[in-house]
Amino acid sequence: MAIANESQQEEHNMQEHHGAGRYVVIWVVLLVLTLVTVFTGRMHLPDFGLLLALVIASVKGTLVALYFMHLSEHRGANRLVFGVSIAFVVLLIGFTLMDFGTRFRLANPPGSQYSDLQAVDIGANKAEGRQGGHLDEKQKQEKHE
Amino acid sequence: MSSAHVTPGSVPGPKLAAHFASLEVQKHAARLGMWLFLATEILLFAGLFACYAAYRFLFPEAWAACSRELDLTMGTVNTVVLITSSFTAAMAVHYAKEGKNKMVGHMFVLTLLMAVAFLVIKYFEYKHKFHIGTLPGRYYFYEGIQLPGAPLFFTVYFASTALHGLHVLIGMTVLMFSTVRAYRVGDFSANNYTMVELGSMYWHLVDLVWIFLFPMLYLV
Repeated sequence: MAIANESQQEEHNMQEHHGAGRYVVIWVVLLVLTLVTVFTGRMHLPDFGLLLALVIASVKGTLVALYFMHLSEHRGANRLVFGVSIAFVVLLIGFTLMDFGTRFRLANPPGSQYSDLQAVDIGANKAEGRQGGHLDEKQKQEKHE
Repeated sequence: MSSAHVTPGSVPGPKLAAHFASLEVQKHAARLGMWLFLATEILLFAGLFACYAAYRFLFPEAWAACSRELDLTMGTVNTVVLITSSFTAAMAVHYAKEGKNKMVGHMFVLTLLMAVAFLVIKYFEYKHKFHIGTLPGRYYFYEGIQLPGAPLFFTVYFASTALHGLHVLIGMTVLMFSTVRAYRVGDFSANNYTMVELGSMYWHLVDLVWIFLFPMLYLV
């Protein structure tokens, strides 16, 4: 019966009608944060630029989830589902980065920041391309030669 | 007010399925189901975010150079458009609870118009990229940036914005159903707004994903 009781609590929260003012406030805050992130992004901060942008994005995302998606009025299970999915996103990205950060240097792709090998320079015309080019175009060119 | 559609006697509302104890439990189940679905959507995009993180870690210079090559003005306008469309979608739920069906329709029409504007702006961005050759992988032929990893940035760019664009299209379809119902049937009210609420939740997810994609792609 716990679930039924819980859902009635949620129903009570959702029935409680808020004025439209709340949505307007959130909307304005989101627009202001967008301007802030554009402004700080254009400064091209060296180290913590991406971090700052992600923090601002997280604040914006939280506002959308809590108020536009009504998560602040939802209970238990809904919050758990959302929280767990975000936790798994963090795990996925975190472990991927830990893998790349702790690799044997030669295992990283040539030309990358963590490799001592030069990237293979294969030009940038249509026949060759950066990644080996269109095989058919290449063969055509070789036939011409 | 347009709540005059509600005639006494035939109380409009969702039908209660036999396997639910009450309407409240049924609504709760619908909402929980939607959150579960949105969780899978978040994890779908998480795969692309992980690609982004891995390759930015390996090629930070190419990432910075390529992100400056994107049109920041168009990106910012698109962000404002999408946030505003999310706001009107939230207002639609607000009016649905009050039973103002016409306003629900108007709000969703505004949302749909902004969705179209978003896609049109995206089209011009894509067109420019096809023109100058900042394309994924072996199709890359832009002479301006010759750094290892640059084609990878555009692989991530196109994969994530295209998947997001697909979600915009799906969200528009979902909202269109609610719009038509709000205008034609007009039976949304304080005890019948699940359709509007869940449709608008999907739209907020589309907005949520863009809120993260925008700084990641345009502002690093």
